[in-house]
Amino acid sequence: MAEHRPESPADLLRALHERGGTAAAHPELPRLLARAGADDLAAAGRLLAGLDPDEVLRHHPGTPTVRIAVTGRGTVTEAVPPLAAELARHGLLPRFHLSGSGTYVGDLSDPHSALYAHRPEVTLCLLDPWTVWDAVPVPWQPLDVSVAAERQLRLLSQLAEAHAAHAPAGAVLVLNTVPLLRRHTHQLTSHAHRAELGGLWRQFTADLLFLARPSAGLAVLDLEPVTSAGARADDPRLGAYADAHCAGPLLAGYAREAAHLVRGLRGAAKKCLVLDLDGTLWDGVLAEDGPRGVSAAGSLRGAAFGAFQRTVKQLASQGVLLAVCSKNDPGPVARALACHPEFPLGAGDFQTVVADWGSKAEGVRTIAARLGIAPESVVFADDLRFEQESVAAGVPGAAVLPLDGEPALHPERLLADGWFDTPDLTDEDRRRPARYAERAARDRLRTKAVDHHAFLAGLGVRVEVGPAQDHETARVSQLSLRTNRFNLTGARLSTEEVRRYAAAPGGLVLAVRVADRFGDDGVAGAALARTGEGALHLDALLLSCRVLGRGVEEAVLGGLLRAARGTGHTAVHTCWRPTRANAALRGLLETHGFRPRTAPEAGGGATGYTHPLGHIGDLPGHVELRLRLPHRDGETEVSACAPSRN
Amino acid sequence: MRTVEELIELANTELGTALRPADAAVELAQLDGWDSVHLLRLVALLETALGRRVPVDRMLEARTLREIWAVAVHP
Repeated sequence: MAEHRPESPADLLRALHERGGTAAAHPELPRLLARAGADDLAAAGRLLAGLDPDEVLRHHPGTPTVRIAVTGRGTVTEAVPPLAAELARHGLLPRFHLSGSGTYVGDLSDPHSALYAHRPEVTLCLLDPWTVWDAVPVPWQPLDVSVAAERQLRLLSQLAEAHAAHAPAGAVLVLNTVPLLRRHTHQLTSHAHRAELGGLWRQFTADLLFLARPSAGLAVLDLEPVTSAGARADDPRLGAYADAHCAGPLLAGYAREAAHLVRGLRGAAKKCLVLDLDGTLWDGVLAEDGPRGVSAAGSLRGAAFGAFQRTVKQLASQGVLLAVCSKNDPGPVARALACHPEFPLGAGDFQTVVADWGSKAEGVRTIAARLGIAPESVVFADDLRFEQESVAAGVPGAAVLPLDGEPALHPERLLADGWFDTPDLTDEDRRRPARYAERAARDRLRTKAVDHHAFLAGLGVRVEVGPAQDHETARVSQLSLRTNRFNLTGARLSTEEVRRYAAAPGGLVLAVRVADRFGDDGVAGAALARTGEGALHLDALLLSCRVLGRGVEEAVLGGLLRAARGTGHTAVHTCWRPTRANAALRGLLETHGFRPRTAPEAGGGATGYTHPLGHIGDLPGHVELRLRLPHRDGETEVSACAPSRN
Repeated sequence: MRTVEELIELANTELGTALRPADAAVELAQLDGWDSVHLLRLVALLETALGRRVPVDRMLEARTLREIWAVAVHP
């Protein structure tokens, strides 16, 4: 006997079967088989193949059933166990009709066949690797195969028309591509002929695939991805002795794809992918590494997360809604999603974000309620087994991806169960994320109008600006190197350059420290300025993106203008030099009263700006600011903890 | 796999049949709950259990469970 883990799904099912309880336990099968591997599924299929659908319905009258006819070129009985297992994984109860070996032409062309009497919703016409070859005479040339393939294609096309005419309305005939076997290609000894055969065979395959019109009742499963994932196609011995040419692994892969198609035809495709962040979407731990410390690019492991993000983005482009469910504070999550333009996915890609410390099952339900979808139409992605189990137990019907600590395997695990597969993609599908985004934007605006001021006032933001200490010069340099969005002049300075700037006559390096009631961000910005000819020259202004949107930028800029005026300067000169993300800063300068002094330099260079220090606007009322500006005669301090009256 | 009873137990566990030891000598066609498809599935199960190939053609021609067992164990 093969060794089995004590609690394997197959063992549990065997125990159930011995007690006669399989039918009664049918609703448990999706959970039981969700993580089952190939051997377990094969074993489960053998047991489920004999399950009487009426017995299941006696226990659970509401079980969704699907009437399936299976016919094909050879023996099709061995397709039943894997189909039974795969359909059970999706909670579907099949009512099979099987045709004898090789009778598919009669089954499909005769309107009075037993196949049509079964009134199938789905007809699987299994084309095994002997398809076409049974009509090729020996000896043969590549062209003989091509002729037989063309004949086969015409036949299939006629059978599809017959199926459309005789099967119940809405029924779908499912064909498949035919794997090309080495035992056929290598009967040709010349490489030239072999290549010709390969080309002709791919033409047949392509023509077959182009027949597909799922919404008109004809689907074609492409088995090449199944065989390229390692499934052996043919079984030489059962093929020779029992006309059962498909190997078990091919049938397992076929059954998985067919079950996804059946689920999609029943409109049971999932709608929303709910994603964890740390270890799922990016490398690193947000709470420890900070918003800038997490990565989905730049390192080997980071790039693996980036590849996963691109896969997710591709699904989203076809109407899959995306949401974040993260055990973190909302602020850092928002900042991390906003401050990584190098990530394939950004804040704008997610319809909603739940960042709190509640259970993820609760988070998934909250997301479903916000999006107006059923919780069971969610697919949940998290690398932690604990969270997976929590959602599997707490949100019945939701799909849970078995991710783990290996991000390079995230994409295939996301796609393994075709959760979002639909027969056809509609314009509505493509527009869905945009519609949800519009709705979310309105919701945000409403929330903003009502309580954004209260929210900001309640934050207790404190900003302290003063000469950088020596140990802070490295941090100032790092900010200049890393900051793109709020880097006014595009300055990139090494630690040594920062130090030299501070040591030069009239040179000032100011560190910006930010804190609020949720935490202390430390040195989150810097300003480099020097005095010359009665004016203050602002050579760099930097703020980390993690502190943006809290009024810090307005407080720092407004405070600097006041301090410059207070120290007897007649103007503040600066420039805006475009980086890949700082376009918004030009607007910020102009709303603060800066006027262009010089035309932009050619080739995307800097535009000079001057503030005449006449009228200076109000400082943001919710920010407690303390700004110290040293000068020849001492130090000027600007402070504000209430709306400024200057 | 030393006895035909073990083969019967294998079928009951893996194929969900309800065969008794006394069924070993009964013609497969007369065997309650036995389907020809079981034989195809038994081939793979036996090969896994024995860790070697069995002669598929002779197994498919066997008429009782005892014959199947004999062909598989003493090819």
